[in-house]
Amino acid sequence: MVAACGSTGGGGGGSSTSSYAGKTIKLGAVFSITGAGGVYGPQSRDGAMLAVKQINASGGVNGAMIELEVQDDASLAATSAQKAQTLIQSSQDLALLGPTLSNSAVAVHPLAESLKTPILAVSTTGIHIVPDCNWTAANPNSTPCKYVFRDSLGEETAIPDNIKSYAADAHPTTGVLLVAQDDKFSSDGGKIVQNTVAKYGINLVKTIPFSKNAADLTPYVTEAVQANPNVIFITSLGAIPAKIMNTARNLGWQGQFLGGNGFNTATVSNQAGAAGKGARSASAWYIGNTFPSNADFVNAYKTEYSKDPDQFAAQGYTGIKILADAAKRANLTFTDVAGDRDKLRTAMESVNIQTPLGPFQFTSTHDVKQTVWIIEMDGKGGFKLDHQIQAS
Amino acid sequence: MDFFIALVSDPVGFWNSHTLLISQIGINGMLATSMFLVLYSGQLSLAAPGFMAVGAYVSVLMELYWHTPFAVNIAAGTLLAALLGLLVGLPVLRLRGVFLAIATIGFVEALRLGVILNVPITGEGLGLKHTADPLGGVPIILVSLVAVVLVVWRLTKGRLGSAWAAIRQDEIAALSQGINVARYKMIAFVLSAFLAGYAGALEAHLSFIIAPLDEQYGVTRAVQILTFAVLGGSGFVLGPLAGALIVTLLPYIFLQAGPYINIFSGIFLIAVIVFRPQGIVGRGGLALVRPAWWPRARVRAPSTG
Amino acid sequence: MDQQILNAIFIGSIYALFAVGYTLVFGILDILNLAHSAVFMLGAAVTYTVVVKYGHSFWIACIVGLAASAVIGLVIEYVCLRPLRRRQAPPIAALISTIGLALVIVAAIEQGTSSSIFSWLWVDGANSVAFPAGTVADPIWHIGDLTLEASKVVIIPITIALMLVLGYVMRYTQVGRGLRAVAENPRAARLMGLDVDRMISLTLVISSALGGLAGIMFGLALGDISPYIGRDNVEVRGLAVIVLGGMGSIPGAVIGGYLLGMIEVLALVTLGSGASGGVAFAALFLVLVLRPQGLFGTRLRERL
Repeated sequence: MVAACGSTGGGGGGSSTSSYAGKTIKLGAVFSITGAGGVYGPQSRDGAMLAVKQINASGGVNGAMIELEVQDDASLAATSAQKAQTLIQSSQDLALLGPTLSNSAVAVHPLAESLKTPILAVSTTGIHIVPDCNWTAANPNSTPCKYVFRDSLGEETAIPDNIKSYAADAHPTTGVLLVAQDDKFSSDGGKIVQNTVAKYGINLVKTIPFSKNAADLTPYVTEAVQANPNVIFITSLGAIPAKIMNTARNLGWQGQFLGGNGFNTATVSNQAGAAGKGARSASAWYIGNTFPSNADFVNAYKTEYSKDPDQFAAQGYTGIKILADAAKRANLTFTDVAGDRDKLRTAMESVNIQTPLGPFQFTSTHDVKQTVWIIEMDGKGGFKLDHQIQAS
Repeated sequence: MDFFIALVSDPVGFWNSHTLLISQIGINGMLATSMFLVLYSGQLSLAAPGFMAVGAYVSVLMELYWHTPFAVNIAAGTLLAALLGLLVGLPVLRLRGVFLAIATIGFVEALRLGVILNVPITGEGLGLKHTADPLGGVPIILVSLVAVVLVVWRLTKGRLGSAWAAIRQDEIAALSQGINVARYKMIAFVLSAFLAGYAGALEAHLSFIIAPLDEQYGVTRAVQILTFAVLGGSGFVLGPLAGALIVTLLPYIFLQAGPYINIFSGIFLIAVIVFRPQGIVGRGGLALVRPAWWPRARVRAPSTG
Repeated sequence: MDQQILNAIFIGSIYALFAVGYTLVFGILDILNLAHSAVFMLGAAVTYTVVVKYGHSFWIACIVGLAASAVIGLVIEYVCLRPLRRRQAPPIAALISTIGLALVIVAAIEQGTSSSIFSWLWVDGANSVAFPAGTVADPIWHIGDLTLEASKVVIIPITIALMLVLGYVMRYTQVGRGLRAVAENPRAARLMGLDVDRMISLTLVISSALGGLAGIMFGLALGDISPYIGRDNVEVRGLAVIVLGGMGSIPGAVIGGYLLGMIEVLALVTLGSGASGGVAFAALFLVLVLRPQGLFGTRLRERL
């Protein structure tokens, strides 16, 4: 749907691997541009396109130009799988980014694995995505997936880090969990909260499931507030966190909100307004971080799109940088796609580059190993930094 | 456009790299045929996603925990869906028109939000991950589709079909002709549930996960299936099939529209139905919710009107 | 518990106001206007944009939002319904044409970003937004254990007053008598010299303005305006309400709205929140099975 080709550059780029010169590295991406995932997909796309433009403008990958084809999955898992199949088998792309939503990732990643094509998740945070993309309840010890990677911070890291950090600061003893039971993202997060709280001395008094399509969450929040916990955990995304915060504050509750990746967009902080002040989450990226390549990225993004990037843009941008670095070292043939995919996959395992997310390497299970930022909403639509947790 | 060019220039390559899309068209075709059965017998039922969910969850749970063969799982899911169709049909089939539609929506959402999301074995909101062979499903799906369409076409040509048509056109008149209206409506409803259950069970094995989402087993899916049938035309069995084909392909037809795709899709739906109110294929067949005063399509309007 | 009853009355009012628009159109045309939820959303979205992007006061924005909703009502009639009547299409065809229009409206808002062709209409894309704090004074009172938020409380009298006015208009005025005549028998109404098309246009305008108003109040009170609030949050419940209340009945829709609000909240309090979503729909199913004409429908329309 959208293709980016280099407008400048070309030539050898001074590289030793001259066989790359004049070639094209075809990459694909499946993002949610339309539908509910449209809150995140366009930022991932914009971040990725910016990286492609920068790389091609500075001579490409050893002289080869990157071509990125972005397909919209309309936020539907079935469409996501169809588009991924087409990119892999019809467009013959070397590797894919995406998809945007965890629910789609669970459908698409095992497909890419079976087609032996590297796929790099740049926004999904759910469980059983990497490395256990073949996990099922009946067979929990499936063989790890070889072709699936992730540069986004999983909730399995983010939520426990956040709870641990707040527990160390304030020693809460009681909590209530509000979870959108018909939303996989929220259910995944809820499961993680349930499995984590006891470790930090928090008694989960109540879990209150609700439908993400409930017209009014006030009755559910009323139930939560009446239990009068120290902490309310919110694992949803979109409009729900802000609605819960506003309602709970209006009902006079004074405790602490803790959440997951669903908090980490300016829209949520903005919508929550004063009610969100102090709400904490763990983020994969912080706009003011001082990593060497972050300022470059933020400035270039602002110039290109006249707005601030967010976490999803940074992760999309990083995704292309990772693939480009792997492609540079993979000794691609440009004739044998299957062989090139294997070489790229192997090279991805040893990526070690500077990115806006910090120095980037994959863990042995293809997950992200990076600094985690504990941020809190400032009550005015922005965030402020509480803690920086180094990659372990 | 590349999509359609590839279809013509490299059909084999196109086929091999679009198996998921083709499978989805086949599944949607069966769902459209399931909707055709109820519409043809004068019932505006939106229950299909509920029966799909039964077919899907039963077959996947059997696969996961009993390790029974694929064919057994699909058969069990399908039969249980048909059985549930009988149980649901008993109380609701005396409802007509919009009332039946809303009652079946009540069934679908009560099943999804009330049962599936609250019974731990279904995986609740996390969904059920399972092993699947998404790319290998095409042959069985297409063979099934052809068989289903042929059987349903035969049925509409036989005694059942004429009874259904009589009920659709005028239920009271059908009764007075001695047609056992309740029985024939029930047959159509249970067959429709059977088909939806079968399509749901097959569809579950096209993906590595099933999850109780609205667009999968909720009202949104029901409305999509209704769109197949009404847009395609529900007077002839090929109508809903054509509707399923076109609606499933909309994202590819309007690929060039990029982010504005739904604007074009929406305008397309309006244009088609305004210029072909009886649907793309065939004519008539939609009298089920026609109010008494509504102008009759085939009767010349009186000059005073 | 008291707080929960208040919650139920509040959301019941929104349901009622939204559902009355559905039921008006159904009562007169015997069709379900599935673009109604998109109008609900558009009313809120336009009001938000006029406040935030164009910097007008909330009250001016409200008028613009209502006007936009009413105009969409006319679009529904001229684009989706009238051509089908002219072609003597069956009413079920109107389901598809109104779904098509809803798709267009939702997509226009969803794709409205600062760089799109819809930036004049909406700039927040698929995001959900709230009116900036202080757009209107929204005091909160704490009385005993009860919390009263002005933006929610005010919806209750507005709903009831509007329904009384609407009931009065339908029963005692020339226009109302005309509308009822069209509802009973359009052919006879035409012979009596009534301009049936104009009556239908008027119905769509009133219905859509009410839908838009419901959307504005929903957006203000709950702080949630997004392309999906109509489709995801109220559409199916609105259908449930008009059926509970008896199709085409205005008082029925109002009572049905409050009833659904109560059922949802009572299910939550007594059965726990996991089941509450399903209970409302199970209740809908049961009501229809036991009373096919709806709780307050006086007669089962033979033509259905």
